[in-house]
Amino acid sequence: MGHGNNIMAEMKPEKKNMATESAKSGAVLVVGGGIAGIQSSLDLADSGYKVYLVEKTPAIGGTMAQLDKTFPTNDCAMCVISPKLVGSGRHLNIDLITNAEVMGIEGEAGNFTVKVKRHPRYVDVEACTGCGACVQNCPVNMIIYPVEQDEVEIKRKDRDTVLSILEENDHGEGSLMPVLQAVDKHYGYLPEDVITYISSKLSVSLSDIYNIATFYNSFSLVPKGRHKISICMGTTCYVKGAEKLMQKLCSDLGVEPGGTTEDMRFSVEAARCIGCCSLAPAIMVNDKVYGRVKLTDLSGILKEYE
Amino acid sequence: MSNKYTQHLDSLEVAGLGSMYPERFRISVGMATCGLATGAGEVFQQLRKGIDKTGIDAVLSGTGCLGFCQMEPVVDLYIPGGPRLTYAEMTPDKATSLIDALSRGDIPTDDLLCVHRTESLLGDSFRDYGSGDAGKFDGVPLYTQVPFFAKQNKIALRNCGVIDPVSIEEYVARSGYRALLEVLTNRTNRELIEEVKKSGLRGRGGGGFPTGLKWEYTLSTEADERYVICNADEGDPGAYMDRSVLEGDPHSVIEGMILGGYAMQASKGFVYVRTEYPLAVERMAEAIVQARANGFLGEDIFGSGFSFDLQIRQGSGAFVCGEETSLMHSIEGVSPEPRNRPPFPSESGLWEKPTNINNVETWANIPAILFKGGDWFSAIGTENSKGTKVFSLVGTVRNTGLVEVPMGITLREIIFEIGGGIPDDKEFKAVQTGGPSGGCLPASLLDLPVDYQQLAEAGSIMGSGGMVVMDETSCVVDIARYFLDFTNDESCGKCTSCRDGSELMLNILTRITQGHGKPEDVDFLLELGAAVTDASQCGLGQTLANPVLSTIRYFRDEYDAHIEQAICPAHACKELVTYSVNPDTCTGCTLCARNCPAAAISGKVKEVHYIDQGNCIKCGLCYDVCNFNAIVVE
Repeated sequence: MGHGNNIMAEMKPEKKNMATESAKSGAVLVVGGGIAGIQSSLDLADSGYKVYLVEKTPAIGGTMAQLDKTFPTNDCAMCVISPKLVGSGRHLNIDLITNAEVMGIEGEAGNFTVKVKRHPRYVDVEACTGCGACVQNCPVNMIIYPVEQDEVEIKRKDRDTVLSILEENDHGEGSLMPVLQAVDKHYGYLPEDVITYISSKLSVSLSDIYNIATFYNSFSLVPKGRHKISICMGTTCYVKGAEKLMQKLCSDLGVEPGGTTEDMRFSVEAARCIGCCSLAPAIMVNDKVYGRVKLTDLSGILKEYE
Repeated sequence: MSNKYTQHLDSLEVAGLGSMYPERFRISVGMATCGLATGAGEVFQQLRKGIDKTGIDAVLSGTGCLGFCQMEPVVDLYIPGGPRLTYAEMTPDKATSLIDALSRGDIPTDDLLCVHRTESLLGDSFRDYGSGDAGKFDGVPLYTQVPFFAKQNKIALRNCGVIDPVSIEEYVARSGYRALLEVLTNRTNRELIEEVKKSGLRGRGGGGFPTGLKWEYTLSTEADERYVICNADEGDPGAYMDRSVLEGDPHSVIEGMILGGYAMQASKGFVYVRTEYPLAVERMAEAIVQARANGFLGEDIFGSGFSFDLQIRQGSGAFVCGEETSLMHSIEGVSPEPRNRPPFPSESGLWEKPTNINNVETWANIPAILFKGGDWFSAIGTENSKGTKVFSLVGTVRNTGLVEVPMGITLREIIFEIGGGIPDDKEFKAVQTGGPSGGCLPASLLDLPVDYQQLAEAGSIMGSGGMVVMDETSCVVDIARYFLDFTNDESCGKCTSCRDGSELMLNILTRITQGHGKPEDVDFLLELGAAVTDASQCGLGQTLANPVLSTIRYFRDEYDAHIEQAICPAHACKELVTYSVNPDTCTGCTLCARNCPAAAISGKVKEVHYIDQGNCIKCGLCYDVCNFNAIVVE
């Protein structure tokens, strides 16, 4: 390890014998600083190669750094990637060239010359601590990662609905929650095009909206049934047999808890306490509460809703 | 100047008394969620139809919940000049016969729960109903003689079930907004805070922090804007007093918040209600409109120069939003994770302004304290815990409902005198207080006086006042597992100790309830519980181990039975029980076989049935549906 720049200089004249001479020398250019590029760079650098990691955006990390969980293990994405981000930043064998693009490559194996165009950053990289204060204080609200935003497309009917929801719930700061609640109430879920439109209208990033939408139990990103059945799983209802109600209802309707029937008639979910503890076990269909529900009552209740 | 405002209140009071005590029958139906869930809506419709059809001279109105939810739907009948009667467990048919009887000039006494000769006002004062029909209802217990009500002292619930919740006139007729007028015209905000401090009121939401002190801190932070918030994100399973207050008496919360706003010089307030309470939101919204229309909210209230307004914000189903910093994040519309304190909200809260958050019940107490005085309030209760507390007495107990009792009353009085004990000849096993942050207390602690300190010393907490009674058929290990399942699901995931600690504890408890416990499990749970308590940022993580720690403390033998012998003494853990058919009592009705979701029961009509243990998923449906007690659980 630690051969540094000399290797590259050495490499140039001895291009023909390279393969036979020394397997562990040479320099490598990695294009793209996502998780694959980072991991390749780290492996190569640990094996003794000098690595140049070129990345188009101002920072390495790519898509994985924006994820909450990774498939299929549901591992926390940041827990996996952040040590690698730090590792590749500190590694003596890795040169990070961010905010830059590869313009051209010349030469042959063992002796390449790469032309890299580095975009100006207008920030002193040595002094910046990444505190974020400049972004918040920028008067023209410039986004640090210039996202190419297309004109958000939305059906005219939806647009009118959303515009009136936005108007009714205009509380200045803190409008997002009431707006999402109104959208959820109107559509029964949060349709993707609608929240994308809201994101552009309220100038809240889509990932922030996604954060909110997945944090709360009552928001859904997929369509729900026409009638929402909530089986209370509060302590009292639990003690009085709410689990059996859930089991019976799910087997009658052929769904899992949290699921929706195929004909979109019912959605079934477990509710946290609905505050009807004195009448446990209780269930709520849409806004109507039923108390002291027996297993044999369920089919009668379902018949009330089409 | 204030004369004009006094006159305005006087005229509202006259109108309110007129609608509460008209010169004809007043029939009122308890229309809170608990009433509606048992059919109060249908009863109301039937009464309406009956009155229209028979043409009897009566007004019909809806009230909140009287607290005795076991007896819902409840219908009150006020006889002009005579007593007020409370009918329990009404049905549409009974409603029709009530109207028919009234049209014949008769007053039925079937289904009568009690008779009110007086209407209790705050403190010891009463309003006499007059002695009409004296002697006619001698056989019926007076309101104060009904065991469920006898030991109660209603302050926060003073108007619930008595007034029409969306009638500002009736609220004023019960001395509402009088304290506000008096304070805004004659007293400074510092005097107001002193009065609240004198009362000894502590937060009713769970923390139990002295309210007056919190207000003082909020006022003492320099700022151009301050906020007050009503925390109605009542997430603790097993507690619903906040819902009842919002549905039954929203004006008391509004008046409390205006007083709080004046005390802390805040001009804006938020009521944060959870989404599971649609009716509470509806009634609160209507009450706010009424208060605005009467000039109690808005600019220059009562000519004092003080301006204040309220907004409702709804949660969307996240338990952690009941935590104050998380709740404020939710109002701001950012990710509702809690944050470290300090700074406390009183220094830097909503949008970094000093903010005061109190629970619904706390706010509802404020007008009463200012109307009667701090000394009056502090005379009730124990040395460290003043006043009364509302408990939701639920679970396997005869009389379920909301009870408001003076602090210091014993658990035994609440469960066995007010609650009437355990039904079906079962044994009392434990009472769970304080929801997922609280603990389970055993029979040996029944004589424990209930106040903040005593409960904490016993390993539980007062919390928001949930009191879930469990009989011998509930397994405490399973209950501990249930609460960990809840907190594990609701943990926001910010602190590792809470996110992963709850998961680990849940896994161990699940294993124990499945009969795969290891001898070292209990000690590890104790150690882990202590670590999670110490290392978590907010109340959720700091208290989530309480249900486990308290059940280990009081029911260690049950843990041991699960771990060492793989048996569940309560026959509640389904992995540890078997269901079989008792051949002597089985009549071969086929009901169990038809209901079995796993098709594990076989048998012909009029023949003894058989449960295939290999297919049985132990759901217990057969046990529940059997009409002949022929299913045996071992």
